[in-house]
Amino acid sequence: MTATNWARLAIVVCVGLIIQVAILDEIVIFGAHPDIMILIVAAAGIVAGPSRGAIVGFVAGLIADLFVVTPYGLGALCFVVVGFAVGLVRSISSEQEIDAPKTTLCIVAAAIGTLLYALLGSLIGQTGMFKAAPAAIIVVALGACVLSYPVLRVVKWALTGSVRSRSTYAVPRGGSAAG
Amino acid sequence: MNRRTSQRLTLVMLVLASLTVLTLDYHGEAKRAINHLRTASIDVLSPVQRGISAFVHPVGDVFAGALHYGSLETQNEKLRDEIGATRRELAQSINERSAADQVLGLASLPFVSGIPSIPAEVIADASSNFEYTMEIDRGTSDGVGPGMPVIADSGSSGGLIGVVNSASSHDAIVLLITDARARVDVELSSGSTWVASGEGHGEPLSLSEPSGSSSEVHTGNSVYTSGLGGGTYPAGIPIGAVSAVRSSAGGFSQDVLVRPFVNLDDLQYVSVLEWLQPA
Repeated sequence: MTATNWARLAIVVCVGLIIQVAILDEIVIFGAHPDIMILIVAAAGIVAGPSRGAIVGFVAGLIADLFVVTPYGLGALCFVVVGFAVGLVRSISSEQEIDAPKTTLCIVAAAIGTLLYALLGSLIGQTGMFKAAPAAIIVVALGACVLSYPVLRVVKWALTGSVRSRSTYAVPRGGSAAG
Repeated sequence: MNRRTSQRLTLVMLVLASLTVLTLDYHGEAKRAINHLRTASIDVLSPVQRGISAFVHPVGDVFAGALHYGSLETQNEKLRDEIGATRRELAQSINERSAADQVLGLASLPFVSGIPSIPAEVIADASSNFEYTMEIDRGTSDGVGPGMPVIADSGSSGGLIGVVNSASSHDAIVLLITDARARVDVELSSGSTWVASGEGHGEPLSLSEPSGSSSEVHTGNSVYTSGLGGGTYPAGIPIGAVSAVRSSAGGFSQDVLVRPFVNLDDLQYVSVLEWLQPA
């Protein structure tokens, strides 16, 4: 991946963060709101593979953690796992020539990632997170249904410079797709 | 090194890095540095956030309105009845109205008298689905600091809604009393003292019974801050009313639920009390 790709991805993460705090946080349904940051991470895993998905997850998680009061690093830990797992699933399905729908993968990743966040939070003693999880999972998944397609396109543009659909994740010039 | 090994190594390193950051957040010096970083980030982003929120607020209201249409209809009906009753009362006597105004005025004043307060506008809700906070447009440059109680008035009643969790120069994050991390030492109108804790969005607060207490609690009892617990909150701020009392297994303790006076879902303006926990 070139410096231009990383710069474009940084812009996407920053714009995603602004959309999250200024717009999506206002759309509260049953006490929860859609989450675009987890979708960006899942999309990065799909487009660039598990390693780069995890790296994007780590950075995006650290940035997102700046705007919440939960322990710093919790979001990063969760996003690392999400970025890696989604990339791995996409990578395996590509190797076995199974064309897993990318938007569906994003939606499932967002829902499981939200559950993982609640689970990790509960493990480190953050009370009440498990109770809030069902509503959060449903709302995040519903939000992902609407947002995953545009997010995938934008992340694909950031990482490859193209928005054309391809059945497998992007293979960067001169390197392995899986990073 | 083959591809799979390299991937696993990346994952392990990033998980370890995340765990290190997480651990550092629990240590004094590092925690302070992280808090500075957090407040600086909020300062940077808040002008953009405010600008966009001004346009987006109505969109959020439309969603909320559509989702709560049924309850709004009921509320509307109730409000219409109340307006009708109020009009009849007003027509009866101007003197009665004057007296009612005085009573209402007295009822709303006591808990803030003597404590200076800073009015603030709510500019954003929590950025995480697992915390109940709100962002207000006043920060350290306006005199707002962590630990200050925040109150609000929702028409007929007012009361405590939370405490300032962190403050940057122009904004602050308020931890709401419904957040599971919120703990408030409270006193019931019957005189007994308890600790109230949040149970999440839309849920009543839960009171935990102090050891050895045998006080009777009844539905409708008012709940106020007690001023105990090191004086985190000044005494006498209304919080809510007891909505349910249940005896737990064996009848040795009681589960008491408290419905807050202030509807936390629909706040636009709040007031920060310039009160700091005594050293």
